[in-house]
Amino acid sequence: MAEEQESTLLLPPSTAPEAEVPAEVSPETATPEPPSSAAVSPGTEEPVGDTKKKIDILLKAVGDTPIMKTKKWAVERTRTIQGLIDFIKKFLKLVASEQLFIYVNQSFAPSPDQEVGTLYECFGSDGKLVLHYCKSQAWG
Amino acid sequence: MTDDKDVLRDVWFGRIPTCFTLYQDEITEREAEPYYLLLPRVSYLTLVTDKVKKHFQKVMRQEDISEIWFEYEGTPLKWHYPIGLLFDLLASSSALPWNITVHFKSFPEKDLLHCPSKDVIEAHFMSCVKEADALKHKSQVINEMQKKDHKQLWMGLQNDRFDQFWAINRKLMEYPAEENGFRYIPFRIYQTTTERPFIQKLFRPVSTDGQLHTLGDLLKEVCPSAVAPEVPNTVLPGEAKIEPTFEPSRIAGGRKASLAVKCWASQGPSRVFIARKKFHWFRTKLKQQVFRAGVQKFQL
Repeated sequence: MAEEQESTLLLPPSTAPEAEVPAEVSPETATPEPPSSAAVSPGTEEPVGDTKKKIDILLKAVGDTPIMKTKKWAVERTRTIQGLIDFIKKFLKLVASEQLFIYVNQSFAPSPDQEVGTLYECFGSDGKLVLHYCKSQAWG
Repeated sequence: MTDDKDVLRDVWFGRIPTCFTLYQDEITEREAEPYYLLLPRVSYLTLVTDKVKKHFQKVMRQEDISEIWFEYEGTPLKWHYPIGLLFDLLASSSALPWNITVHFKSFPEKDLLHCPSKDVIEAHFMSCVKEADALKHKSQVINEMQKKDHKQLWMGLQNDRFDQFWAINRKLMEYPAEENGFRYIPFRIYQTTTERPFIQKLFRPVSTDGQLHTLGDLLKEVCPSAVAPEVPNTVLPGEAKIEPTFEPSRIAGGRKASLAVKCWASQGPSRVFIARKKFHWFRTKLKQQVFRAGVQKFQL
């Protein structure tokens, strides 16, 4: 199931995702510790394989932006915000020229080249990163 | 923060003497002279190079001009990274002036974000400030400000107005008296030696037993490969020397460190980690660099 999601995210623009939407992705069993409550203390070693693990993202629509049928996705940590934007646009069948904005904490729009893994570490809670998406600028 | 004012001013007014040269394959109607400029470390390339653009466009035809972009020794320069960061990361061990090549064709889509207007720079800058405040104050301070305060922050940066900027920024640098600091310290560590764009993690200013964390603690925790405390006088990649025990203020190699610790702390792009009592802080050796390069050549 997770593989299916990942390959969808990697498909080139020519392949449009069809109506067959995979069911909600369940979090991997080895979910990373919820980072929001974990203050980094000296001596904590980060597992080496951490960068390979996927993180859970929950996508929420803002305003009159179409709602995605599948809201929860397991995404590789190195996926960028731009990659996510492209994916959502394809999924929602938006025109390439239409803009899509992604927000963290309903307060800031991360740079398109920012990695979701970093955002998850700093702004994730309850084992997932909540991102709001909108066709117009919602939080400036 | 008032006792740190001279450090704040030093950071704000840091400049990098730069020589802009047009890429040789650009089509010109006549010879394009290089253009010299002192770049503010805390600003962004596309915000401060209008004069550079005008200078080169004067010798080109309109049809040969599309979006400007900059490159150093083959590496496209990300305009959304602060100028000081780009320099420290890529060129700090080279002789001044910093030689940047200017392009008007073949925009490298894979490497660079587009910058169609100043609004895009403003949006990016404000987003950075908001992200920093999300870490420092759970966004409370930035959200309590009015739109005009946000605008003043941006205008201060755009117009190089230290007092205008800091009138607002000082609120973003405060914390309640009962706390020992921010909730988390906003930082990013950039290195040339890794594939990752930067390291950014949650890091508290105070340890669980009440000790104020130092810059050394931060580096040891999030970037242990950059420090080797067991070996005396270890030389890091890029010849930066750091004393193993992180005694106060001796993080030398402001020019030579390939490890550029960008401490954001809502100054936006700031390379200096502002100290408070037990924090370490280090200055760049920029002023000496400028004098050595011969200041007469460069315009502000």
